[in-house]
Formats: sequence, C-alpha cells, structure tokens
Amino acid sequence: MNIPNLDLILFITFGIIAIISSIIVVEHRSLVYAASFLAILGITNAALFILLGYALVALFHLAVYVGAAVTFILFSITMLKEAPLADRPTRILATIVTILILITFTLILLTNTNLNIPAPSLIANYKVLATTLVTKFWFPLIIAALALIVTLIEAITLARREVGT
Amino acid sequence: MLTATMFLSIPLIMLAIGIYGLVSRRNMVRMLLSAEVIFNAALLALLTLSSIPLYAATQLDKPAIGGTIALLAIGIAAAEIGVAISIAILLFQIKQHIDVYELKKFRG
Repeated sequence: MNIPNLDLILFITFGIIAIISSIIVVEHRSLVYAASFLAILGITNAALFILLGYALVALFHLAVYVGAAVTFILFSITMLKEAPLADRPTRILATIVTILILITFTLILLTNTNLNIPAPSLIANYKVLATTLVTKFWFPLIIAALALIVTLIEAITLARREVGT
Repeated sequence: MLTATMFLSIPLIMLAIGIYGLVSRRNMVRMLLSAEVIFNAALLALLTLSSIPLYAATQLDKPAIGGTIALLAIGIAAAEIGVAISIAILLFQIKQHIDVYELKKFRG
C-alpha cells in the first residue's frame, strides 16, 4: 500500500518527539530522566538524518553517540547529585536570549523559503562518502582518532586517581 | 514535498531550548546535556544545509562532504562528553557538588 506523504508524516512525528525530548532534557528534575531523553533525542535525530538521505551518518550517530556517549553520561550521573538553579535574573536573561534567537532565526528562515532538498536516494551514496572521508578528510580523521584515544587515557587516569592527590 | 525550511525549523527550536538550558543552570552535567541538545541541532542543520542542491548539478560529492563532516563531529562530540563527565566526577570527588559557580575557586 502506498501511503501518500509518508515522509511528511514521519517528519512531523519525529520533529515533535525531538522538540519534546529537548524540553524534557533541559527541564526535567531528575538527571537520569534527562539523560534518557537525550538518548531519545539522538534516536529521533538519526531518523531525521535518514529522511534527509544520510543513512550511514544515522547509523554512526546511533552507534557512537546514543550507544556510547549518552549511555556513558547515564551511568556517570548516578554518582552525582543535583546543583541548585541559577538565580532569577539569570533565568530571565536566558528567557530573553532564547526569544531573541527564535525571532532572529525565524526571520532568516522566512526570507529563504525556496530551499528545496532532493529525494534521499540522490544523497545516500556510501562510496562517495567513504572516498571523501579517506581522501579529502584524512587529516581530520587522524585528529579525531587521536582525540578519542586521548579521551580514553584521560578518563582512565581520572577514574584511578585518589582523592586528595 | 519536504523543504529545507521545514527541516531547519526543528534545529532552530532545539537551539533556543539548548541555549536556555545552558544559561539558566548551575549544574555542570545539566549544562553539558543542554550543550548536547545544541550539538544535535547543529548536526541536523549541517546535514539539511548540505542537502540543498545549490551546486549539485556540477558537484555531486557536495552532500558527501556534509556527511563526512557530520561523522567527524559525532566522533569529536563523543570525546568531548568523555572529558566533561570525567572532570565533573573529579570535581564531585573533591568538592562534593558540581555547582559551576563554585568553579571560581579553582582559579590559579
């Protein structure tokens, strides 16, 4: 059965889930629930990547970001406790900044309404993506690998460090 | 048909929510979570903008460059989370809290 506008239905569904998850990540009182909803935000983001045609990036996002990074946050925050909220003037300033950002970028978006994206099949070319990664971006790839190794060593060193040394 | 404007509206809202969380919180981990919301918004905006075929008729690898940068960004974000959480745990071990206002006392 061919469902009309299936992409649109999926886009609206995942978009709403992503926005609600973002609000819960920022506003939920429990850090554990906030981190759990960050994982849900990552999953919906990956679904939006697939709608854009970047299935490989979506898989990488699920495996590395949701599977490793967010899970790491989730397990780590079980040993921490909550700090108080910022003072009232700071929260009012944050609200004003948020509204200004929303207005500014909405105006920018409304002045550029003719930006169409192609069908996903035009983009999902893994061979081109992999070739681009190892030919044009080989140096950033090495830097990213080194950054991950240094993070691993740093995390182990900090975890094994005795308090007071 | 889905348009880039529709796709860009979601990262716009996520960016605003993330900035609000970043400014209005004192908990280091909660600020990190807000920063991750901003990262997700930036990633979605990057991939949306790299999908727009402004020059796609002559440069077919243009979307692939956006995807490649996104792959590298996800890897670096994972490293950043590792460092930030490790610092938060170390700070909690020393000070018994993760209030960023107290970080002023760490100035050399």
